[in-house]
Amino acid sequence: MREPAHRVSTRAIGMWTVEALTVVLVLLGGQVIWWFVDDRPSRSAHWIVGAVWLVLSIAYVVVMPRWRFRVHRWEATEHAIYTQSGWLRQERRIAPLSRVQTIDLERGPVSQLFTLASVTVTTASAAGPLTIHGLDLPVARELVEALTTSAVRERGDAT
Amino acid sequence: MSEWRRLNARMLLVHPIETLVRLLPAVLVVLIARSGSDNDARWELIALPVIVAWGVLRWVTTRYRIIDGQIELQRGLLNKQTTTARLDKVRTVDLTARLHHRILGLAKVEISTGGGQRDRLVLDSLLLDEGRRLRAELLHRADPEVTSMPAPTGTPIDLDELASGVETAPASDEEVLLRLDPSWIRYAPLTTTGLATAAAGLGFLTQGFSRLGDTSELIVERARWVRDLDWWVDAVLVLVLICSLAVSAYVLTFWGFRLTRNRLGSLHTRRGLLTTRETSIDPARIRGIQIDEPLGLRLAGARRLKVVTTGLLKEQGGSDWLCPPAPAAAVTALSREITPDDAAVSGELRAHGPAARRRRVTRAVVPVLVVLALLVVARTVWGWSAALLGIAPALLVTSVALGIDRYRSLGHVVTPRHLVTRHGSLDRQRVVLDRDGIIGWKVEQSFFQRRAAIATLVATTAAGRQHYDVVDVPIEEAYAVLAEVSPELAGQFR
Repeated sequence: MREPAHRVSTRAIGMWTVEALTVVLVLLGGQVIWWFVDDRPSRSAHWIVGAVWLVLSIAYVVVMPRWRFRVHRWEATEHAIYTQSGWLRQERRIAPLSRVQTIDLERGPVSQLFTLASVTVTTASAAGPLTIHGLDLPVARELVEALTTSAVRERGDAT
Repeated sequence: MSEWRRLNARMLLVHPIETLVRLLPAVLVVLIARSGSDNDARWELIALPVIVAWGVLRWVTTRYRIIDGQIELQRGLLNKQTTTARLDKVRTVDLTARLHHRILGLAKVEISTGGGQRDRLVLDSLLLDEGRRLRAELLHRADPEVTSMPAPTGTPIDLDELASGVETAPASDEEVLLRLDPSWIRYAPLTTTGLATAAAGLGFLTQGFSRLGDTSELIVERARWVRDLDWWVDAVLVLVLICSLAVSAYVLTFWGFRLTRNRLGSLHTRRGLLTTRETSIDPARIRGIQIDEPLGLRLAGARRLKVVTTGLLKEQGGSDWLCPPAPAAAVTALSREITPDDAAVSGELRAHGPAARRRRVTRAVVPVLVVLALLVVARTVWGWSAALLGIAPALLVTSVALGIDRYRSLGHVVTPRHLVTRHGSLDRQRVVLDRDGIIGWKVEQSFFQRRAAIATLVATTAAGRQHYDVVDVPIEEAYAVLAEVSPELAGQFR
């Protein structure tokens, strides 16, 4: 099977970078607390952990968003929706619109900052929601509209 | 049928007793605490009427009716709560009778319309016959106007005939598919469920003993007696204890197990020694079967069977069992009866290839190697005895054997009506999933799976575990299966 046709918005790279920075800074916070709580005179352990943190964080913040952007793709037809996501661990999901139960448009604080939105399509299976992150807001609205119309036309038992 | 009905009046007896039993620890604490003091206020004399009144109130305020193709349940006095469920959404109906219910001839009716706790109506309790009649009303209505689905048996059903069938519900209608053979109890200690029950029982016992341990001279003496025995006598004693616990759990759960099918295709199971449980499953909700083949049962030539269906709750453990551990021949015959597709039930499966085998063996061996490495470190650093390393060869051989068995278990096949997948070794299971029941697909690849050009193909469904996996299959084979089962889906993205 070929890849889904559309890429997500390029601003998604920015969104993922901000999200990665948040994670990395929380870890830094933990280290700062450790620095002040630790009574031992030797600081070498702190410097080693700090160096490891710095290298891994830079790699994560720089690499992850770009890698994700190259992987994340989506496509919706009149009868089905098809997504591809992940970076180290990648997955493709595909579901017929006749089995769709709900279609959600979500905008978290970070994605609002970048005027992005994510669209989640749930089916009757607890294991099978499809989420497309980092869509341009107008594109996401349009997609929700299109999916809703097609899903209504494709009415089935959903189970 | 449309007027309000109440729970059975005998519940006036049951509710207070149930509440009392639930409060028993508190009551005991109060009694013990007071036994030393001279405060003689009789709390329980006040509490008892309150509990009884509570039970009466529960009975008076609970009522149900079937109207306009819906079942309505109303509860509560101040905070009135009405639950409604469309009849055509009813998926399973459970009748449970605990010991006190059985003495009074009652049964609790649980009606489930979906996968969650919220999609459930509980009528606690009705007369057993009344419960069965209600179940018949709920599951046997087959009016295509209401259900908008083809009749389960394929041929349209005469509603007049159906109505008369509901009234009398003759037993001759039911075809008995399986009855528990008492000799099957020998398989009880071989399953992990049996062992888990035994372990829980053992834990409970030892905890009890350790509390009494300091005080009771008798137990100390017994403990010394046990300690003086040879180690193999101890081992035999533990084995006997585990076996008997597992056997009693099996007997309690599965005594009198019976699986029947009525002429509309509904499956009914009935089981239990003290607490009896009857489960009815609407055939339109069945999406497949799962044949469990855990290692212990496999070595003894036994299997067990579960149904993959929508609307069974996870916390009602075991209501999806169609057959307790039983000889393989009996289980295979039963599977064919329920899923008339020989290739799916017992046919050969396609193997997943060398990459899958390498991964299975690696995963089995690496943890053992890590443990051995730690043992070596422990020996050099802390001077642990080398005797522990003596088990290394045995451990390695076992883990390689486990890995190879796990690979041999892996397999899948697509038949005209089913997708079959099998995996696991200690907990091997073969799932036969209706192709119509698959409502979506996932193709997952970890970093290492991508390098080996394999993937895990996940078929999502509304039934059972919600997803069934074909593990570590070559990537082009994964897409081939997807395309074969859902050609209209794959065709759009070719």
